[in-house]
Amino acid sequence: MKHLTSSLAITIVAILLQSGPAYARIKLVALPERENTVVRLDHPTVTLVEEERVLTLQEGVNQVDFSWNGVHVDPDSIRLAVLDHPDDVKLINVNYPPNAQALVWDIHSRSAQQERVRISYLLANIDRVVSYEMVTDKDETQLNLDSYLVLRNFSGEALTHVNFRLDYGEAFEKSIADGETKRMLFLEAPGLNIKKRLTFDAATQPWDPSKLDTNVGIPVHYEIANTPENRLGKHALWGGKVRLFQKDTLGSTIFLGEDNATYTPIGQDMKLYIGDSRDLVVTQRKLQEKQTNVRRNHRDHVILYDSLEIMQVEVANFKDRDSTITVLEPMPGEWEMIKTSHPYERKSANKVEFTIEIPAKDKVTLIYHYVRQNVRPV
Amino acid sequence: MHTRSFLLVPLITVILTGAAAAKVDLVTLPERDRVQLTIYNSADLTLVREERTLTLKKGINRLEFGWEGTLIDPTSVQLRAPKHSDHVRLLEVAFPPKIKGAAVWTVESDVNGPVPVEISFFTSGISWRAFYMGTLSGDEQTMRLQGYVRVENRSGEDYENAETRVIVGKIHLLDEIAELARRETPYGTPGYPEPRGQGLLITASDELKQKAYSQMAAAEEAADYAAATKSIVKEGMSEYFLYSIEGTESIPNGWGKRLPSFEVAAVPVENLFRFEEERYGSLAHRLIYFQNDEEHELGKEPLPDGKMKIFRDLGQDSHLSYVGEVYNKYIPMQQDLELDLGNATDVKVEPILMAEHTENYTFSNKGDITGFDRIQLWEIELQNNRNIPIRTEVWRNLSHAHWKIDNNASNKGTYEKVDVDSAKYVLDVEPNSAVRLKYTLTLYEGDCQYQR
Repeated sequence: MKHLTSSLAITIVAILLQSGPAYARIKLVALPERENTVVRLDHPTVTLVEEERVLTLQEGVNQVDFSWNGVHVDPDSIRLAVLDHPDDVKLINVNYPPNAQALVWDIHSRSAQQERVRISYLLANIDRVVSYEMVTDKDETQLNLDSYLVLRNFSGEALTHVNFRLDYGEAFEKSIADGETKRMLFLEAPGLNIKKRLTFDAATQPWDPSKLDTNVGIPVHYEIANTPENRLGKHALWGGKVRLFQKDTLGSTIFLGEDNATYTPIGQDMKLYIGDSRDLVVTQRKLQEKQTNVRRNHRDHVILYDSLEIMQVEVANFKDRDSTITVLEPMPGEWEMIKTSHPYERKSANKVEFTIEIPAKDKVTLIYHYVRQNVRPV
Repeated sequence: MHTRSFLLVPLITVILTGAAAAKVDLVTLPERDRVQLTIYNSADLTLVREERTLTLKKGINRLEFGWEGTLIDPTSVQLRAPKHSDHVRLLEVAFPPKIKGAAVWTVESDVNGPVPVEISFFTSGISWRAFYMGTLSGDEQTMRLQGYVRVENRSGEDYENAETRVIVGKIHLLDEIAELARRETPYGTPGYPEPRGQGLLITASDELKQKAYSQMAAAEEAADYAAATKSIVKEGMSEYFLYSIEGTESIPNGWGKRLPSFEVAAVPVENLFRFEEERYGSLAHRLIYFQNDEEHELGKEPLPDGKMKIFRDLGQDSHLSYVGEVYNKYIPMQQDLELDLGNATDVKVEPILMAEHTENYTFSNKGDITGFDRIQLWEIELQNNRNIPIRTEVWRNLSHAHWKIDNNASNKGTYEKVDVDSAKYVLDVEPNSAVRLKYTLTLYEGDCQYQR
């Protein structure tokens, strides 16, 4: 018993059946050790601990102390399950002594026996975070993914030989002291296919970089498909900090940058922003706004018209390699596409997406004609 | 009794008739024969009813009682002699000046000898609350529901072998009992505001605790095995619901106690992921439904408000996973229970406006626009990233009352126009899959609202 240290402690007291008023709490010599402890890390913020102990019970009512001095246990979450003889051993009451982080179970046993119980409770200030380290090849087509599980135990309780369980995969045994942080490699996925995507969003980025004093970078992302085809897809990938590296030709690596990955369910892409490219320059211009189909009221005021518009997006690739760029174009409320130089995908009523391949050291011009309909003069 | 200060009827003084009021004789302190606690949870209030046997003499008896160090409302103290109701009367209660926490009762008795009396009073400092544990089955179709009552005694007084009853219901009080207990003069004073006393610190010495604990344990040991799992008798009263715990409980000052209230092995539950932007924002909420009725193995009593912790049974060796905690309000019998577990992380609902156009313009005789139809094509993406099938409910609240929805023939699930400006889709989604609901919404603007 270590009542002085912060730890979960369990004590059994049997009430001696003496005649007369003198009853005493007797501490048993053999303190039950914790066994088969499982720490479940499947909840984003709350950690569930399950542990088993063998209690030596007397016939009749036994008092079992459970104390968590200095340990962040949620008292209402404590459960006790009788495993061996649930019909013979019953939990009668739970008592909470004054000014103590403890409870006393009144357990009734039909006979003197050893009984295995499972105690479960929610423990605060212990959690896990996930971090990733990824190394891409020189061509940025393949990537080695290492995922680390970081256990942070500030719960007040040292956990020795404990089975940690995530929401998937096998349990692993670890010991972690109170106040300790441990990082473990738990997923190695070499040779994943990645897609490098450059994105120009006309709704947020400047249209004419030549008029600016600074370079306009084009955001660059890697996309990693969480699918079985890509040797992943067994479970969702947790969100966490990602550090990206790239192999150089000298057998070393450079650090490309870091990003926060978001939770990626099976079948979806993990998108990682790695920085901005200055080797692609996008210039956008509206070439035409022509009013047609003008409708007037009896006083000859315009009440509705359509507008025929032409947009031009010029992408210059200064790299010595082919590039793919995604061009996002915002669209006005009511519109119809008339013709385009490249195929597009309608993402929503207000956004279309073009995917354009630009050969090395080349330039591609995207042009699209559309009509804005039923415009009302302001 | 193991209080830091004595409680009711510690001293009985018999006043000789005719003589000056002097304490001449000290009658033996009577033990409590029986004590009953009725604990409220909507206010800091407990009705204590205790039975003691007083030895009275014929004529006028003066009894002194004190409540120093406790949290008793002195204005609530009553004395009755149910077996001698016509022969024993409490004539007067005097709160002497400059004496704190004490009063003198004048009892008139026609009886000479022992008289069982019932003393009742209000105390603060004893509280109870309900809380629940729900354990979902692996397929989440049923839930084991366990209700508990947690009683805390911080009243300054030990209650041994007390019949314990807890009450659900909203009580109307003019004064807080704790405040009444702190008053220097029980009924206040005329003319100027009354100074307040200090709050009470409840501490018990270790020795005292130990002794109380031993006695409590002894009492429990005395209970036989049949009483091991106590039942709670439930009874509807006026606008309250009364839960009487079988047998007696000993709750020393400072101690708390968790008592099982009920357990149902398998309540059929419905799981639902609801999306309603105006209510929850852009994330779907996870909900669990059942009804407090016989069909759901419940319905015998209202469920007091309290927190509910939800776990999921993982099947293998009954290991658990924690799902979340919800506060549920008071649920009368037959009413639905909706447990809102908050934002769902593994289910995503996203409505996307895919296209919009206007048509059917109407014009005034001056040729100005008076109305038109706004036609919107919507797609609702539903993603189930869980490994079991789910049911989703998607609410669409519209900007006004003049609209119609044409659903795409390929849509699965059900569509319902709920009221004048809202509609609802209910759809089951397979594990780890995504579906899209498609519909055309026509909003009638201006004059177009009148033409239909």
